Amino acid sequence: MTKLIKGTTRRGALKTLAGAAAGTAALPLWARYAQAQSSEPIKIGFQQHSTGIGAAYGRWYGRTTEAAVKVINDGGGINGRMIEVIAEDDGTDPKRGAEVVEKFANQHNCDVAFGTLFSHVVIGSSPRAGELKLPYFVVSEGHHVASGMLNRYTLQPGITDVKSQVQAMAPYVSENLGKKVTMIFPDFAFGHDHRDFFSAAIEAQGGEVLEKIAIPPTETSFTKYFPRIPRDTEVLYHVMVGPAVLTFVKELGEFFGPSSPAIFGFIDSLEAVDIASPGLEFLEGTYFWEGNPRYAQADQTEYDKAFRAAVGVDDNGASISDPTDVSTYAHMFGCWETLHVIKHGLEHSGYQGPGDRAKLIEAVEALTDFPEGHAHPQGAKIFNGKTHQVFGHQYISRVENGKLVRVHTTSIEDTLYPDEVDYTTQPL
Amino acid sequence: MTHRVVLWIAGAALLCPSKAAAHAAEQGFVLLLPTDVYIAAGVATVALTVLVLAMLPAQAGETIFRTRSLRLMPSVRLRHLTSLVSTAILGFLIWRGFTGPGDPLSNPMPLFVWTVWWVGLVSLQGLFGNHWRWTNPWTGAAKLMAFATGLRAPFRYPRWFGSWPGVFVFMGFAGFLLTDPAPADPARLAAFVGFYWYTAFLGLALFGPAWLLRAEALTMLMRAYGKMGIFGRARGRLAMGLWGWQALRQAPPGLGLAVLIIALLGTGSFDGLNETFWWLGQLGINPLEFPGRSVVVAQNLVGLLASNIALISVFAGCLWVGDRLAGLQRSLRETFCLYAPSILPIALGYHIAHYLTSFMVDGQYVIKVINDPLGDGSAFLGLRDFYVTTGFFNTPATVKVIWLSQAGAVVAGHVVAILLAHAIAMRGGVGRRQAVIAQAPLAAFMVAYTFFGLWLLASPRGL
Repeated sequence: MTKLIKGTTRRGALKTLAGAAAGTAALPLWARYAQAQSSEPIKIGFQQHSTGIGAAYGRWYGRTTEAAVKVINDGGGINGRMIEVIAEDDGTDPKRGAEVVEKFANQHNCDVAFGTLFSHVVIGSSPRAGELKLPYFVVSEGHHVASGMLNRYTLQPGITDVKSQVQAMAPYVSENLGKKVTMIFPDFAFGHDHRDFFSAAIEAQGGEVLEKIAIPPTETSFTKYFPRIPRDTEVLYHVMVGPAVLTFVKELGEFFGPSSPAIFGFIDSLEAVDIASPGLEFLEGTYFWEGNPRYAQADQTEYDKAFRAAVGVDDNGASISDPTDVSTYAHMFGCWETLHVIKHGLEHSGYQGPGDRAKLIEAVEALTDFPEGHAHPQGAKIFNGKTHQVFGHQYISRVENGKLVRVHTTSIEDTLYPDEVDYTTQPL
Repeated sequence: MTHRVVLWIAGAALLCPSKAAAHAAEQGFVLLLPTDVYIAAGVATVALTVLVLAMLPAQAGETIFRTRSLRLMPSVRLRHLTSLVSTAILGFLIWRGFTGPGDPLSNPMPLFVWTVWWVGLVSLQGLFGNHWRWTNPWTGAAKLMAFATGLRAPFRYPRWFGSWPGVFVFMGFAGFLLTDPAPADPARLAAFVGFYWYTAFLGLALFGPAWLLRAEALTMLMRAYGKMGIFGRARGRLAMGLWGWQALRQAPPGLGLAVLIIALLGTGSFDGLNETFWWLGQLGINPLEFPGRSVVVAQNLVGLLASNIALISVFAGCLWVGDRLAGLQRSLRETFCLYAPSILPIALGYHIAHYLTSFMVDGQYVIKVINDPLGDGSAFLGLRDFYVTTGFFNTPATVKVIWLSQAGAVVAGHVVAILLAHAIAMRGGVGRRQAVIAQAPLAAFMVAYTFFGLWLLASPRGL
């Protein structure tokens, strides 16, 4: 049950082969033997949300993963070994997630597992990965890795966590948009995280949260909640998600008309939705956190350009084959960067096979800096080997003429917080 | 995994969610549509059909379902050959299910079973007519075995079984479709399908064709939908008429088959219902962080059975009340079997509406896998960089067209059902006035069901 990513062009493969042959000829006999032994592919188990609630994200995570593997394989693979992606669907279901991890370890003999987005699947799968001692690289943004609730075999080196993202917004919001904030959030853990992390962060900046308006998750009409927004509110912070989010934006626009406070939201609300859609005109002039700017910016780096080209995404963050197919651009770079960290770790650990999985964990824990580049197109990052969590720049964009234009890049320092765990003290 | 562990995981997930929830552009745009107006218009259309029919002369129903002869049916006997091709394709799919990619969107097994067959071929069967005669994977193989061995089926199918084994098997199929945690897992599906093909083949070999007609649920449902198709056979010729004309020309189904027909709608309805915020609310599940199918197996099994029992009861209740109002002395069993086929267009309309959106996405994966069936980089259709798109869910204009197409299928299904029920009533050998009164509660039920079907399409969903 394998899915080979056919990244290698004929010419690329020949070059790789020629290079490998030349390199091998120069090695002593025993080393040549070892080289031959490990020429089989590196097997990466991709825990994919192909079905279930995460399928829309899973599709773009899959596309990004394919693109990253093609680039790595075209560049000679990992220590000369090609990557073979073995994708298994977890149904966005924690119980199946654990079964998929087991399959990766026992049935497919994967070197690592990778790619999980939804937190409940991460939390359901991670204990099994720990028991099986299978390195498990998640791309979920949850705070669960850095909070210490998982284990030494679970790492998040390719995407920042929600706690650092939220707290890094506070300095810009308080200095530029206002200090009196009203928060509107869905009344479950996701919204509560925003409420708690942001309240603490804005107070540290000398601001205050005037009102916290929790909306029941099944709500589909919001006008009745808006009168609770205090009149002296300077900034409205919203993080609504789910099918009713467009209704939310429309009703908010109808409620305020042209004279609204500054409005700040997380792009999660409108990930993969065209900002220029009819009915969303009210978003003009409002601000969004973006994990990675969806629209190519005026000062676009060559790395972002190459990343877009590889994944097949245009300057508006939509598929090159269909301009209405907007990607999950704020999140999917995480798959690309995580795969490059895996490559880095495998190469630095002198990894030969599944017997070296513990060495791989130690090698990744020893990594600290990821400079911006083709492997890290979203920006430079700092990895914390103790908490297994990466930290990086966050972006704030403003909607101008129906496009998101970046107005602020946070420092990495803005995203840091004290360690809550030291996984390196756990046995391997 | 024990329940306690599952609960712990669910609880832990609640404590510590990611920021990711399913992006729901399509549903977001549906919620912005004036669906209440559309629903009212749809219900009014069906209600108006009822009123107009009540006023038209008794022959009107017959006129509507009149057929037009096209040509003599060809006498070529290719159906065993095409059936063998089906068997070969199924064999390939099972092999790929076990040996191909584990991802259900890359492996042809789940794509062909759930997208090509369950959505595509079932819809074609209902819309156009009985292709299952040529496309089923059993009859050709059975013919070949009989030809090779010279043996005939050694047993007679026990008459007293009726069609109940088929009803039982259908509920098993529905249970797998709706409550299994991983119905699209390629290897798991291949094992189920392979086992099912073999047992059905064994039944066919032991009991003869009666097995397919009374115990093999998929052939039963296909033949039932086949009677809805516009093309069929009339007096030895190929004929065409409005959906349902074939059902009018045949004797009413037996009780088992009639129950299976109602269960098609009951199952389809629950398939829609179990995704709604409303149902998840009943289960106490936050629809914005649905914990996965493995957590709701028992609940959905209960829901599936309850939906079917409720629908059968309401349907029977309407018929019973109708006959009492009209002073008719027919047995409920007789009326139930007589009117059951009128439910088929509703079930078909809902089947098409419910699966239209997933078909638009998964159909692209089917094209991908036909382009490269072994995943070895071939491009039989010449598609090199083919990206699956869901862009049509992201613009209000396309979402509107999609939603109205779905609503159109539901409304059309109900209108045809009303026409069919009316024609059946007029043929019941009772006076026109009595027939109209007897049919009235069923007609009212169909109008109400139009509302329910459209409400399902307009409701926010959590899966």
